[in-house]
Amino acid sequence: MPEEKTAIEMSNITKIYPDGVVALRNVDLIVKKGEIHGLLGENGAGKTTLMRILYGEIKPSKGTIKIFGKKVRFRGPWDAIKEGIGMVYQHFSLIPPFTVLENLVLSLSSIAKVNVNEVKEKAKNIIESIGLNVPLNVRVEMLDVGVQQRVEILKVLMRDAKILILDEPTSVLTPTEVNEFLEMLRKLKKMGITIIFITHKLKEAKSITDSITILRKGRVVDVVETNKVNEIDLAKMMIGRETILKIPEKRSRPEAGSVILKVENLHVRDDKGLLAVKGVSFILREGEILGLAGVQGNGQRELVEAIIGYRPVEKGRVIFMGEDVTGRSPSEIYGKGLAYIPDSRAIGLVLDMDVISNSILTRLKNFLSKGGRIVWDKAQSFSSKIVKDFEVVIDSLKAPVKYLSGGNQQRLLVGREVIWKPKVIIAAEPTHGLDIAATEYIRSLLVELRDRGTAILLVSTDLDEIFQLSDRIAVIYEGEIMATGRPEEFTPEKLGLLMGGVKCQVKS
Amino acid sequence: MELNIIANLLIISLVPMVPLLLGSVGEIVAEKAGVVNIGIEGIFLLSALTSAVIDFFTGNLILAILTGIVTGTGLGILHGIISVYLRGDQIVAGVGVNMLAYGLCVISLVTIWETFGSSPPVKTVPKLKIFDLRVSPLVIVSIAIALVTWYFLFKTNTGLRLRACGEDPRAAETMGVNVMRTRFLATVYGAMLAGLGGAYLSIDWVGQFTREIAAGRGFIALANVAFSGWNPLIAIAGAFIFGFFEALSIYLSIRYGQFALVYLFKTIPYLGTIAVTIIFVGRAKTPAALGKPYIKE
Amino acid sequence: MSSKKLGKLEFTEYEFFIIETTGSVAAGLIVSGIILAILGYNPLRGLSLLLFGGIRNPDYLLSRATFIMMTGLAFAIPMYAGLFNINGEGEMYIGGLTALLVAIYTGNGFLAILMGGFAGAVLGLIISVLRVYRGVNEVVTAIMLNMAIYYMIIYLITAKLYDPVAPHESLKVPASARFGLLKLGVFRIHIIFPLALIFIAFSYYILYFTKLGYEIRVSGLSPASAKYAGIDPNKAMINSMILGGFFAGVGGALNVIGFMYYMDSMLTSMHGMGFDGIGVALMGRNNPIGIVLASIFFSMLILGSQRMQLLMRVPKELADALSGVIIIAFSLPYAYRMLISYLRTRRMIKVGAEHHS
Repeated sequence: MPEEKTAIEMSNITKIYPDGVVALRNVDLIVKKGEIHGLLGENGAGKTTLMRILYGEIKPSKGTIKIFGKKVRFRGPWDAIKEGIGMVYQHFSLIPPFTVLENLVLSLSSIAKVNVNEVKEKAKNIIESIGLNVPLNVRVEMLDVGVQQRVEILKVLMRDAKILILDEPTSVLTPTEVNEFLEMLRKLKKMGITIIFITHKLKEAKSITDSITILRKGRVVDVVETNKVNEIDLAKMMIGRETILKIPEKRSRPEAGSVILKVENLHVRDDKGLLAVKGVSFILREGEILGLAGVQGNGQRELVEAIIGYRPVEKGRVIFMGEDVTGRSPSEIYGKGLAYIPDSRAIGLVLDMDVISNSILTRLKNFLSKGGRIVWDKAQSFSSKIVKDFEVVIDSLKAPVKYLSGGNQQRLLVGREVIWKPKVIIAAEPTHGLDIAATEYIRSLLVELRDRGTAILLVSTDLDEIFQLSDRIAVIYEGEIMATGRPEEFTPEKLGLLMGGVKCQVKS
Repeated sequence: MELNIIANLLIISLVPMVPLLLGSVGEIVAEKAGVVNIGIEGIFLLSALTSAVIDFFTGNLILAILTGIVTGTGLGILHGIISVYLRGDQIVAGVGVNMLAYGLCVISLVTIWETFGSSPPVKTVPKLKIFDLRVSPLVIVSIAIALVTWYFLFKTNTGLRLRACGEDPRAAETMGVNVMRTRFLATVYGAMLAGLGGAYLSIDWVGQFTREIAAGRGFIALANVAFSGWNPLIAIAGAFIFGFFEALSIYLSIRYGQFALVYLFKTIPYLGTIAVTIIFVGRAKTPAALGKPYIKE
Repeated sequence: MSSKKLGKLEFTEYEFFIIETTGSVAAGLIVSGIILAILGYNPLRGLSLLLFGGIRNPDYLLSRATFIMMTGLAFAIPMYAGLFNINGEGEMYIGGLTALLVAIYTGNGFLAILMGGFAGAVLGLIISVLRVYRGVNEVVTAIMLNMAIYYMIIYLITAKLYDPVAPHESLKVPASARFGLLKLGVFRIHIIFPLALIFIAFSYYILYFTKLGYEIRVSGLSPASAKYAGIDPNKAMINSMILGGFFAGVGGALNVIGFMYYMDSMLTSMHGMGFDGIGVALMGRNNPIGIVLASIFFSMLILGSQRMQLLMRVPKELADALSGVIIIAFSLPYAYRMLISYLRTRRMIKVGAEHHS
């Protein structure tokens, strides 16, 4: 029997979710044995979905999978593991208080009866042959994220994996760790292991892969050999020309006014204690929309949370209307006229509470009488006004908010903040998960507010939205602003490059 | 002279140590797997009752001890089903079990022995003699159980898998552990040990069943779990310390207890527990997924 | 999502409430009936006495309900903030003791009640601070404090505060401080019940009409939203425990100042009410009106069990067993919903299978 050259052959994969969303449409993926194959695409392109199907976590609606020439149907990850597939997620499945060795023993003990010493031996062998630097007797929670990732990989290798799927592996690594990581991948490749590398980072894709499949909106755009393309080509394929064409003609708008929000050299740490925002500075003027573009997880959330006072500021200042408000509490900042619409409705609203209670959440002070009593009449008429002005469809003001549709929840959330006529609005993913009607409504609302002089910081991973609405765009990557400019100045190539971490000139 | 008293006190401390140790070690296993059972108090009570009953009617000590263990197992199964499979609220279920046990015990007292306070004396486990003091063999048994449990939890693969359930059940599940079954079995084991502890209370230590025989010991055992950092070896020391508080209070009551002061001394074990808990908590880490029902999706 | 027909197996919150309550009570009654039968008593007679025996004396019924209403609040309010307050028992004892002492020394009943509440609040403060800032489990602290306070009070009463004429009882509350009976035409009831209703209304007011209550509720429902809004969930938790402790303390004070007029050395008049309060809060869904109704129900059970003891010689602790089963049943809020959604899914799968072939 001839030795099988193709490790993975996914044919005609389609995935349609029960609610009608088409995540993947007729996707083919062919990975040669022993190659490093890149899977490139933006947020929501379908990369992770495709891999979860390969790993047996999800079942495809249509299509077939062949591993090393053998047709397979996975009922769960365990079937995939048996075929030699190992997946390393962005979120590790390690037990933090256990040592590396204990995690390895745990992972193997469900397959067979194992002996701690045998596990130790095997682990040491693998470590030596790849040069994997992993301390066996240290508790996982004490390790750097980069090392933890290596533990995950070691875990997978210990199960004799022949195919390794890595989902955005370098998103948690520092630049030095990235180089070490890529070196390790080359060693693994020499050992004959096939690797699928999911990423949105162009430089890495270019430096490590042999061939790349590019996905966009659930379809395959192209399959290329890495040494036959450059980063610009990749960027073009990833983003696509149509996006840029969606910019409306120069709309008549008043010139942006004076500076109302100034962020100076902000440094902010994330929940793990790592620096997520590394010296960000920008200004926001009255009557303009500044769109902050970037792939999720590049520091946007921490930046916004620091501005509103939810997260401590390590270094730097936030100046609002000429006043230094760094580190003040959220309710103080809201009171001064800065509104924040968070990306999660579960945070912006208290889902179990009714509409009236939710409408006073961020401005409670305004609804209290002298003695600390809540004036519910005032709250009720206020919430009625929001419902009317922003066309929120509800059964009753007293019904819990969780029963409203996503679009109506968002209208309530946005309306609640906007009705106070704030000077600055920070809107994070304002149309996330909404239908077309709701999306259009929110977007026109933002434009209208801008025309009336409000300053808006729009944080979104949806590039269409960024381009449609922004007067200026800033691209954020790994906690730094890569470039700022007007929408016309960003060609698709440049945008792709910037979002992928490659600095380039914006103004032509 | 003083030394003699202290030595005696230390040996007497072994007596209240036993139920605390058994209760703690069992609960450590359950909590390491992620389930909290505050119904230990109720298990103590009910097992004390059932083993006293069997002892009373048959005089067979082995049978009586087994009855206590079985009672604990039964309550453990109940709590396990509620907490693991029905994803019920573990604390509330525990409170309910305690109340139910209390009610059942008093009813039984009345029905069987027609008394509201305490049963007639029953045959007790024969004691070993150490330095003029008579100490129960269960002291050695409970310490042995603690040692074996420690070895199981920390030196075997199965123990590793159990502990994984309490730290990160999702990760454990992806690594092939049957989280729900493990949690259920751990809960039953914990309750089983508590059942043994309850049997000890009535047919070994006190020599009869009284409605107040548990006296909050189930909760002191819970405090010992946290104090010991979820480590059965340290739990031995902790149970001994708490036992010492109780021995101290008994001693003071005998020496100085004109009738009322007895009660004041009785507060010593409880205040001591609080003090110890405050000082020593925060050192060790609670199992991260403790008390949270594991939902598969 | 409003109410749909029974056939489709979809219910509103309100309907779930009724299902869960009846289900749990039914479970409790069935188990009690079984116990009665096993022990050789007539289960039907026993259950009917249990349920209805308490109606004979409405004044006693309502007064008894008063105390568990207050301990019910003591559990319910911290529950809004996400905390378990099992210290209702201890807070009640110390409230009673403080009220007794204040009444004896000042002769002022109102002051005694307030100070009793204050004592309970301090206890709540201690437990919550330990929990929030030292991570000490509040269940353990609560039980330890309950027991320590129990013995401490017994000591104080037996050794220092005893009535020379009746050494098993404490000194009596002076007449000037006593809260007595209210005469409404033919009816005479202790004034403590209406007073407790006022406290319940007050707690409702705090929870739903003040900034404090709002912050407590938001912190309990969604700590992330609370922080987004600039609310500190820790402070809210501590405040909720202070409030809960206050009401439990008031409950104890009302017992001493308005009903018993002394404390007996074994605290039998208050024993167990803290735990009944938990059952009451669960059954009443932490809702002040629900708590009132549930307290009356529990009180009926307690009185019924006393009557049962009198007439059938079944120990009244059967009521404890019954309450225990009810509480266990209430620990399964999802059980009913799970059951119903399971039935619903099976039906949908059947229907779906028919559609998709």
